[in-house]
Amino acid sequence: MAPQDVAIDALLAAGVLCQLLCCVGVLVAHDVFDRLHYAGAGSTLGPLFILASILLAHGLTTPGLQTIAAVGILFVASPIVVHATARAARRMTFGHVSASAEERGERP
Amino acid sequence: MPCGVVCVRGRPIDAVVALELAGSVTVTALICLAEGFHRSSYFNVPVVCAVLVWLNGMIFARVLGRWV
Repeated sequence: MAPQDVAIDALLAAGVLCQLLCCVGVLVAHDVFDRLHYAGAGSTLGPLFILASILLAHGLTTPGLQTIAAVGILFVASPIVVHATARAARRMTFGHVSASAEERGERP
Repeated sequence: MPCGVVCVRGRPIDAVVALELAGSVTVTALICLAEGFHRSSYFNVPVVCAVLVWLNGMIFARVLGRWV
């Protein structure tokens, strides 16, 4: 087995392990804000390892470029969605988005 | 499977978070399947899926934040 194959398998295993850990984290987290941390990590770290594995296997050919596009969209769009979901969760939980005087550390 | 459990048993906003993670897992699974089948044309599917996952998350977050 060539060293390149070992590296490809190791990166693939790391990506799958990251996704698994994030799924378990979403399951065991206490509230929605804790769950969002795991969801954000699951849509950036795991796909990045998979992308590295694919690029190591194919290089900058058509599959490699299409994988860059898919993971790039995930990488850019996921924080936007996580932010929007966090705002919605805050509005649902506290009734407003902006921080109160107590949360800002000001005296009432 | 864990995301499905959260979707079924959690609050609606928890289900949206689980759905976002499930979408990301689906995109990576589709990339792995395309690599496993050795068909370069299959690599188009995760690109489309990634765009749809983003749209889906934004729409659910907007709807939940405004009307629920």
